[in-house]
Amino acid sequence: MRIKRFDRNQRLFHLFLMLTFLIQSGTGFGRLFITTDFGRSLSSIFGGYEIALVIHFWVGTIMMVGFTVHVVYLVKRIDRRNLLNSILGPDSLVLGPQDAKHLLQRIKWTLGLDSHPKLDRWAYWEKFDYWAVFWGLPLLAVTGIMLRFPLLTTKLLPGWTLNIAGLLHRAEAILAASFIFIVHFFIGHFRPHSFPMNEAMFSGTVHLEEALEEKPAWVDRLKKEGKLDPAMAKPPARWFRVFYFIFGYTALGFGLYILINGIVYGRYIQLH
Amino acid sequence: MLSEVTNMLSSWLGRIRLLIGLALILMMTGLLGPAWAEEVRSTRYRYGEREVSTGYYEEYEVKPILYLPGGPLMRKGIPLESAPTEPVRWRTYLTDTHLGIRGYKRHHDCTDCHPQQGRDRHTVRAGITCDQCHGREPISGVNHYWSPLSPIRRHAYVCAKCHEGASVSYAEYAVHEPIPAMLSTRQTFPFLFFAFWMMVSVAGGTFVVFLPHTALWGIRELLIMKKDRAENESKQQD
Repeated sequence: MRIKRFDRNQRLFHLFLMLTFLIQSGTGFGRLFITTDFGRSLSSIFGGYEIALVIHFWVGTIMMVGFTVHVVYLVKRIDRRNLLNSILGPDSLVLGPQDAKHLLQRIKWTLGLDSHPKLDRWAYWEKFDYWAVFWGLPLLAVTGIMLRFPLLTTKLLPGWTLNIAGLLHRAEAILAASFIFIVHFFIGHFRPHSFPMNEAMFSGTVHLEEALEEKPAWVDRLKKEGKLDPAMAKPPARWFRVFYFIFGYTALGFGLYILINGIVYGRYIQLH
Repeated sequence: MLSEVTNMLSSWLGRIRLLIGLALILMMTGLLGPAWAEEVRSTRYRYGEREVSTGYYEEYEVKPILYLPGGPLMRKGIPLESAPTEPVRWRTYLTDTHLGIRGYKRHHDCTDCHPQQGRDRHTVRAGITCDQCHGREPISGVNHYWSPLSPIRRHAYVCAKCHEGASVSYAEYAVHEPIPAMLSTRQTFPFLFFAFWMMVSVAGGTFVVFLPHTALWGIRELLIMKKDRAENESKQQD
């Protein structure tokens, strides 16, 4: 039996972010490591050093538009009649004191010192993953625009701010890519419980047993509110499963290729 | 009789027209006078695009008589100094900045003595050579009054060769950026130093929390799976 976890809009936003992030990583790291064989081969996938920059700029612009659309979507999702519950309730992604308690309890659980915390719909690591984008994307967007239009930037700001913009852009890109390719990939797909793939974000559903094990407070709440039966869902079609397995593993493989080579050629990174 | 009078009148009219024309030309040249003065005094037309006024306006047209650092006529207060400029070194004011350096040979590779300056984006990625910006021997110091790299004209004489439309502010970009991690950068380019260490703190803080958290989580799940498998096997045997 399966239960709905992500609706269509949420899955589309994730797919959009996934594709744009991978393209930006590929073009960006191709240019960052251009003095190495890895950088040259990665850039050649996108057409070379110069074409990679053009793609990087335009996909970055599309990312900014998507981010704006998502913020509008978020604001529209807020239930004004029930404002406090909408922003701070159990279905909200806003971090709260409960998340800090869950983090500590979970650390103790991993060391065998406590029981597993009863997590609700969104766990603290999922909330962190979500809000990290709100830190990284605007920083990358602003510094990216400064670097793309240096003459206009220096009309408003001193020229040395371009040095800082370059440093921040590269540093944030390395941080974001490292976090996604190490932490997010592991939590999502490589940990023993999810291996070979966590299908939730592609199919939109999870097994009820899995939800009971990982998010028991959420399932209990659905039962109490009488929303569990309407939340039940059919398993995804076989062809769809095959499609997103191939798609997902291609994305994973690309990310790991960048991560491993990034570590191997790390000494060639020049943050200046 | 009448025709003679007419001819005389037309010739006089011609002379009068000529005189009026000359007078008009003289008046127009008189009107240009203020424009000449305007051009000489204008900061926008003559200097703003290519060089920035030092403030010593009437002396600007004249080559400095005595131009030695620390000397009585040394130019002070050139307003434009980019952020990463190191504390003033007197050699940067010389016509030949390598004058008197023991063991200095012309036609050496610049990076033999300036290795760090060969590792920036302009050199590594754009393939620009040192002499393309600094000129050929004798290489003048970057603060020499007439050097193309003098801060008052660097943007037009050097930067704009590749970056069309470069302004004075644009030229404040540090081409030879110091290594942001080094303590000396705190003196030369503090914003860069603090931006770097802020990002290192953010990245370090994130991974210090999430790497052990994720690793321990994976190990714990492996142990649980092993335990569950062992229990299932014992149940099947029973």
